[in-house]
Amino acid sequence: MRIRRNRLLAAPLLALVGVLAFAGPAHAAGATVGDCMAEKIEHLIEEAHGDLDDMKHELHDKLHDKKVQEKIEGCFEAPNPIIPEVNEIIWGGAAFLILFVLMVKKGFPAVKGAMDARAEKIRGDLDAAEKAKTDAQAVQSDYESRLADAKGEASRLVDEARVAADQIRSDLVARAEADAAGIRERAAAEADAAKAQAIADLRAEVSGIALGAAERVVQSSLDAEVQGRLIDAYIDEVAGSNG
Amino acid sequence: MNVLALNFPEVSHLFVWPDILFSGTDYAINKTVLIYLAAVVITAAIFLTAGRRTGSLVPAGVQHVAEAGVTFIEESVVMETIGEEGKKFMPFLTTMFFFILFSNIFEVVPGIQFPANGRMAVPITLALLVWVIYNVVGVRAQGLFGYLKNSLFPPGVPVALYLIVTPIELVSTFVVRPFSLAIRLWANMVAGHLLLVTFAVLTHELWNATYVGAAAPFAMLVLMTGFEILVSVLQAFIFTILTAVYIGGSLHPAH
Repeated sequence: MRIRRNRLLAAPLLALVGVLAFAGPAHAAGATVGDCMAEKIEHLIEEAHGDLDDMKHELHDKLHDKKVQEKIEGCFEAPNPIIPEVNEIIWGGAAFLILFVLMVKKGFPAVKGAMDARAEKIRGDLDAAEKAKTDAQAVQSDYESRLADAKGEASRLVDEARVAADQIRSDLVARAEADAAGIRERAAAEADAAKAQAIADLRAEVSGIALGAAERVVQSSLDAEVQGRLIDAYIDEVAGSNG
Repeated sequence: MNVLALNFPEVSHLFVWPDILFSGTDYAINKTVLIYLAAVVITAAIFLTAGRRTGSLVPAGVQHVAEAGVTFIEESVVMETIGEEGKKFMPFLTTMFFFILFSNIFEVVPGIQFPANGRMAVPITLALLVWVIYNVVGVRAQGLFGYLKNSLFPPGVPVALYLIVTPIELVSTFVVRPFSLAIRLWANMVAGHLLLVTFAVLTHELWNATYVGAAAPFAMLVLMTGFEILVSVLQAFIFTILTAVYIGGSLHPAH
């Protein structure tokens, strides 16, 4: 690739060297008035024939010929710079035509094609980048939404847990209170039962004791039934006073 | 030619070059012709080399020159004057711009120092080619009658003014344009070359005479050399954009 490029770059350099090598000074074309006149007179001498005298006469005649004089006077006239030279038109026109064909067939399409392809690639890359950005934004918003959902879920779970804990606590408290109440009731009932039992036992005990005591005091004046009533009345009286 | 004791070369001798090959024939090759050929070789080398570097994403070297040239012609010439449909003229306008530019720029290349467009051949050939192209484009776009009507009787002009406008348009569009186009380029390059030669001769003569006196014309010579680089590019651009304007005018008569 580098060698090929160097070869191509060598072409214009060679052209430059060619121009430099072949380019003579501007006034080296026999273009001075003196050179021009000498050239025309030499031409007249070359055309002269015969011996020296004949040649002298012929030259004399020719030098006095109006047409020849006009030709020689033409040396004083500078070439008109605005009139194009035929050879320059031919070469200039051909050069442009060749360049135009080269450009249309090869140079321009290759360069423009490369530019268009690059523009297309850049456009494609930009579109892809834009799409990637949109996708990333979609993923980000998805993640954000999922994160928000998770936060909401966590918050809800915490709230639920808190409610459940409250519920459990209140249930436990209620159950404990109920249990305590039950225990209290049972205890009270047991206490009442024990109390009643104790009272009954005590009454029986007291009645036995009282009966025994009364038997000893009254002896046989009272029968057993009267004794029993008296004893019960006595016990009730005792129980009522103890309360 | 002695002017105020300065040995100034005759003006015609600054532009007429001796034949190098095929002397005296219609195919004679002289310095001017070699510059035309060099312009072809340089332009072709730039574009063909750039065209081979298609894989590169970032343009470099001659590829950059070629692409900058194409972009410049597209954006600053075609899109500004013709529009989208002018893109088919891009190869022609690009070729024309580079060919004129490189023919001009030899004006400041050391050792050559001659603008090939200081000769009338290429300016008039290209101007006549442009004349043919914009007239053909006009006839194809609008039809012969429509093209003549829109060219000679521009729409929007009061009818009474056609007495003045139509002859002016006739001469301007169909006669003067190619010559004005050619002479503008040719005369600018001739004037630039004369300026550079004048200051070069002054520098040479004053150096021989006084040494110090050469400083001022030498400074001007350097300045004018820089200026002529600008003129070379500018004239190539003007020739190209005027061509585009003429083609655009033929395609869109209303503008």
